[in-house]
Amino acid sequence: MLCINRLLNSFLSCVRAVKALTQKPFVFFLGVLISSGVFGHEGNKHDGADESLPAAALPVLAPGYEALTFTAPIAGSYTLSHVGTAASGDVIDSSGEQLQLEDLMAGRVSVLSFIYRACNDVNGCPLATYVMHQLRAQLEEHGGLSERVRLISMSFDPVNDTAAAMDAYKQSFQDSSIDWRFVTAPSIEALEPILEAYDQPLSKTALDDDTVSINHMLRVFLIDANGSIRNVYSANLLHAETLFNDVLTLDQEERQGQNTEVPEPTQSVKSSTEYVTIDRREGYSEGSYSSSSTSLVQGSTAVDLLKLAKDNALGLPNVSDSAALTKEKVELGRQLFYERRLSINDTFSCAMCHVPQQAFTSNELTTSVGVEGRTVKRNAPTILNVKYAKRLFHDARESRLDQQIWSPLLAHNEMANPSVGYVLEKVMAIPEYAQQFDSVYGAPATMHTLGDALAAYQNVLVTGNSPFDQWYYGQQQDAVSATAKLGYELFSGKASCAVCHTVDSQSALFSDYQLHNTGIGYANSMSKPEPHKVTLAPGVVVTVDPASYAAASEKRPNDLGYYEVTLQPSDRWKFKTPSLRNVALTAPYMHNGSIATLEEVVDFYAQGGIENPELSPLIRPLSLNETEKAALVEFMRSLTGESVVQLMNDGMAAPIGDTRALQ
Amino acid sequence: MQFKPLVTLTAVLLTFMVSTVGSVFADETCMSPYMAKIAGQEDYVYVWTLGAEGVGDEQDKLVTIDVNPKSENYGTIINSLSVGGRNEAHHSGFTDDRKYLWAGGLDSNKIFVFDVHTDPAKPTLSNTIEDFVSASGGVVGPHTTYALPNRMLVTGLSNNQDHGGRTGLVEYTNSGEFIKTNWMPTDDNLQGAEKSGSYADGFGYDVRALPRRNVLVTSSFTGWNNYMMDLGKLMGDAEAMKHFGNTVVIWDLHTRQPKKILDVPGAPLELRCAWKKENNFCYTTTALTSEIWIIYEDENQEWQAKSVAKIGDASKIPLPVDISIAADDSLLWVNTWNDGQTRVFDLSDPFAPEEVYTKRIGEQVNMLSQSWDGKRVYYTSSLLGNWDKKTAPDGEDLQYFKAFNWTDGELQEQFAIDFLAENLGLPHQMRFGAHALYQ
Repeated sequence: MLCINRLLNSFLSCVRAVKALTQKPFVFFLGVLISSGVFGHEGNKHDGADESLPAAALPVLAPGYEALTFTAPIAGSYTLSHVGTAASGDVIDSSGEQLQLEDLMAGRVSVLSFIYRACNDVNGCPLATYVMHQLRAQLEEHGGLSERVRLISMSFDPVNDTAAAMDAYKQSFQDSSIDWRFVTAPSIEALEPILEAYDQPLSKTALDDDTVSINHMLRVFLIDANGSIRNVYSANLLHAETLFNDVLTLDQEERQGQNTEVPEPTQSVKSSTEYVTIDRREGYSEGSYSSSSTSLVQGSTAVDLLKLAKDNALGLPNVSDSAALTKEKVELGRQLFYERRLSINDTFSCAMCHVPQQAFTSNELTTSVGVEGRTVKRNAPTILNVKYAKRLFHDARESRLDQQIWSPLLAHNEMANPSVGYVLEKVMAIPEYAQQFDSVYGAPATMHTLGDALAAYQNVLVTGNSPFDQWYYGQQQDAVSATAKLGYELFSGKASCAVCHTVDSQSALFSDYQLHNTGIGYANSMSKPEPHKVTLAPGVVVTVDPASYAAASEKRPNDLGYYEVTLQPSDRWKFKTPSLRNVALTAPYMHNGSIATLEEVVDFYAQGGIENPELSPLIRPLSLNETEKAALVEFMRSLTGESVVQLMNDGMAAPIGDTRALQ
Repeated sequence: MQFKPLVTLTAVLLTFMVSTVGSVFADETCMSPYMAKIAGQEDYVYVWTLGAEGVGDEQDKLVTIDVNPKSENYGTIINSLSVGGRNEAHHSGFTDDRKYLWAGGLDSNKIFVFDVHTDPAKPTLSNTIEDFVSASGGVVGPHTTYALPNRMLVTGLSNNQDHGGRTGLVEYTNSGEFIKTNWMPTDDNLQGAEKSGSYADGFGYDVRALPRRNVLVTSSFTGWNNYMMDLGKLMGDAEAMKHFGNTVVIWDLHTRQPKKILDVPGAPLELRCAWKKENNFCYTTTALTSEIWIIYEDENQEWQAKSVAKIGDASKIPLPVDISIAADDSLLWVNTWNDGQTRVFDLSDPFAPEEVYTKRIGEQVNMLSQSWDGKRVYYTSSLLGNWDKKTAPDGEDLQYFKAFNWTDGELQEQFAIDFLAENLGLPHQMRFGAHALYQ
């Protein structure tokens, strides 16, 4: 019998081979194959057919008739997902017994196909029956499956395929220990919901010879013992060998005592202090670059943010909160911070620019991108320790966190909401938020409460207790290296950094929160486009003329800094001094992200910034040698807060709000 | 825009609803091998079109163009269906029964499912899948919608954690139920795959199947940050330019397990697999480094990647975009978006494609779709909403659909439609429709 496989190399040889056989099943196949219209497939004929096209040529046999052209994946080495629920319905067995389809499938791995006896498409029902016949032989040979597997062929055509007719059809197959049921529906009415459930819509075409063709797309269903559809095969996919391994895969799953599918491998839960870095692509311009990408699914853990803030305050000023922070407020603000529905088109949360895994800034962009990809002209500042910022935004235009939120929420190029009222109504339309605002504030979302909740979360994103803090304020001499100490000496002395990046006796924010012109803004406004180097791939750097992409470029936005707030010419190109806490994690640097590394930042200041009429007198060339520059960088690397990784991981563990819950 | 029924049906189907074996035949613009194909004259081209601010109703829409020369509506727009909002309309693909067209929005993450079988001349919006991000566990940017039996594979471009390029390959049933997410392999979790070179970035873009070798191939582009931003801003952002894909992943088609990660640096985009059964290879082009790469199975049945041709001068940023392989694997069509050129490469030696024909189609050119017999080629212009050119010199076409005949090695324009003048928007991917599919 196995020789049939080798003989079925082509359809014609198949016919010849079948003719040579006498066993009942192959007599059946002969009938089917000959009636399938091999010499002129009806289904491919259409008026106006272009005769030059080979559409009326011999149908190409489906892969299921041929030897598998690859090695089938090993049974049990993979999982099969749940793709639907196997529907039930009234059926009649070939013995005439009335049953529910689910009764036949319960407790067994089932292979279900829809056929009709008169089906004349070689790649339709005959294929399904042929493959199931082969499958049955393989299952029998495997042994031990007779009580765990069942094959079911169900007719599309209850009028012609009566139980008696199906019984006769069944008789054309040899007995086997593997149960193969041939069933039909008691009526068209009983059949239709079953076909609909299996997406096998019924339509008929009258053929020239007064017979009827039932149009359907071949589908064979693999169903587990719990009635879950685990794979669906079409004519191109159906093959006994892969089907056999799929059946065994489900059988193994069953025997391993799992009532549902094998769960997908999950990530181990990460400790809250385990640092999950993103591939920063350092050295990307070099051919030697090698990726170090990390998974998106990290199983990060949430932490007690209030306690964490309290425990990591060394080096931070003692600032009382304007309103008492509660766990509930912080949690509400945390949800809102990651809520994509806070943007006009549900794509953007605060965290899309202030990415927790990137130290609550964006390491992968010099300047941000807002809703619909709209250009934002400045680098996203980190919001770590933003609680202590006396002025907000690079141009210092805002002073309070709970008010600040409305700028990004309403900016056309950020979250693009049309109005305050729109945002509040949208939030209140989400039941989870309406309920939380009521319980936390006893009031709906308002300009005040929404701002307060978001500020509450940001107010606990604080992290001191850095190595510098432990050394400078905690008197732990070994907390930082000698180089870092030299760096601090330079920072506060010869290099004059601390004039703006201030350090007080009890605490340090490393910012005077004043505005200064370093020349970066001036250069951005006043320079002309020049050919520049672009890295196309690791080790592939070319010089590109901006003219080559000018037509695809919007006009570069101007940025006059503090002048845009005050309209005073003397404030042109002034920007706020940023805190240097966690600066090792917040590249790229400056208000427009134009400097990639701390080393380059030091070089920039060492050369005295960029000359321009409004250049701050505090910016002047510094005579620093390479050792001193390196020491400054080492010092800045000691400013990373003790709990920053926990804050980042907590952010990664936060639920991300999106449209699914919005009705 | 009323549709008038055709007098005669002139579509011929290589494979019909009851008989869907077609893998040895031509691509009909690169469709899934699991799908019935239009072998003769297509009746319609469905153009998934981006809405643009200031243009018509400013919304994304599915535009139906009559392309049957025997129709009295030939060369005209016969239907336009707006879906609401600008979703960054991009690619689209039929279900394996070819009854529904799934069209993704790279920004909104919505997938619009159009019924194209009830009346192929007038598709209707049947369903909108809005759970792509949440159901998938954070995949952003539904790109390729690719038919497997009774299921759709949807490649992602990004994620909702950082809008970078790490992403997954998502599976839905034909009826729109989420099945599972297959995360792209990353260095820390290769999922059993072999990292054969220097990169395992976890990025995604396109997907194609080679069923005869049980292989699925995926490519890698970049995340939301980059594909959504202005192209000029991107070119000037040295950080952003580091975040492009450099990999092609070979998967087990049956189990969807990643098997091997190949280095293909410079953002490999579209994938097209050869049709002849002895040709176990696929092609891709790298958008940034501007090269044709062959992804092939060697004599030891190991999958490899090799750069086999340059496409223009990479420093001029030609940006190779859509590609299409001929029915008989003899030609590879490559569009370079920035210079508006379509280029035909001879594949007599699959490892040494030779550029044999070049024609400028417009100020910019992105997608091309050829009929399965290779006699007709259609073009559209739009690449991405914020990458597209904003202006064109007088007399140059900026946003268009163009129909050509390919005869004796020459393209001959048949008709063109100016999508800005028609107040439609930015035309992107094309798919073919035919009445005969549903007789």
